[in-house]
Amino acid sequence: MALVFIRTTIIFLTLLVVMRLMGKSQIGEMQPFEFVITLLIAELACIPMADSSVPLLYGIVAVISIFILHQIVWLADLWFRPVKDVICGKPSVVINRGGIDVYQLKKNNLNVSDLIESMRGAGYFNLDDVYYGLYEANGSFSALAKEEPVSSLLPLTLVDLGKADKKNLSACGLDGDGLNAFLKERGARLKDVVVLTVNSEGRAYFQKKGCNYEILKLGVTGKW
Amino acid sequence: MVKSIIYTLAATVLCIALFVFTEFYVGKQFGDFSAALETLYDKVENGDANREDGYAVRALWEDRKKKLQTFLPHNDISYVDYWLNEACGLIYTGNYELALGKIEVLKAVARSLPAAYGISLENIF
Repeated sequence: MALVFIRTTIIFLTLLVVMRLMGKSQIGEMQPFEFVITLLIAELACIPMADSSVPLLYGIVAVISIFILHQIVWLADLWFRPVKDVICGKPSVVINRGGIDVYQLKKNNLNVSDLIESMRGAGYFNLDDVYYGLYEANGSFSALAKEEPVSSLLPLTLVDLGKADKKNLSACGLDGDGLNAFLKERGARLKDVVVLTVNSEGRAYFQKKGCNYEILKLGVTGKW
Repeated sequence: MVKSIIYTLAATVLCIALFVFTEFYVGKQFGDFSAALETLYDKVENGDANREDGYAVRALWEDRKKKLQTFLPHNDISYVDYWLNEACGLIYTGNYELALGKIEVLKAVARSLPAAYGISLENIF
């Protein structure tokens, strides 16, 4: 019986570490340890219930083990701030006044597309619609919005962390040469670009690695 | 908060009590069964075992089995059933030589089964 407890604890801790390492993209509205419990508890309850060769007591002990571990994590979370940071993580500011913080994005295993998707989910369609954007410890996105949205047009992502999106480029009436010419004017190479988005009026949000973002004009012909 | 801590402590104490109880209880049941098997083995070895001896061990096992099913996977228990029934059958037909082999297996199973659920590194991983 103690064996069930030890094995449950090992699986719990392993899942918790893995969930923390996976970053905020995998969690979604739950603390990592709550997510781990959700993953485990259904299986723990189900196996002894469905398999009559496993004593029901095994399932009960495993579920009680999860309860004890949950309480220990919850109390540690409440009483010791450093433990809370280790177990639950900290909010990550991914957009600041200078633009996107690539280091924070990568730390959470996210890319610019994920960020733009989260922003759209929160009701912001332009990267510069917000002063600050951050991922909370539970993976949800929060932002400090500007008073007015900068544009009511939908921007397309042309470059995401050094990778050009050919489909969006052709939707804008641009090709690889056009993009390269635009980047050359700014003294940037494709691999140095954090993000380049453009709306149908040619308003481009451009950010180079290690630099603040700029709002530029880009000649586009497509309509979307 | 205080209520939560009390629940946590209560659950922990209950679990520890259950672990300790299980460890001793399962060990005791298999200890008694092993002793009965030893006696049966000696009788079979001396050639003076009869079917009543086999049935007595089986009755003892049936009694222990009901209690052990709460703590051990039922497949492991049916494994003991299988070998015990074979041994009883061989004793009944007077085939003592083969019966000795079966009882030997049962003795080994009775030793190894409680150990398979004890706390050790190989059992954990």
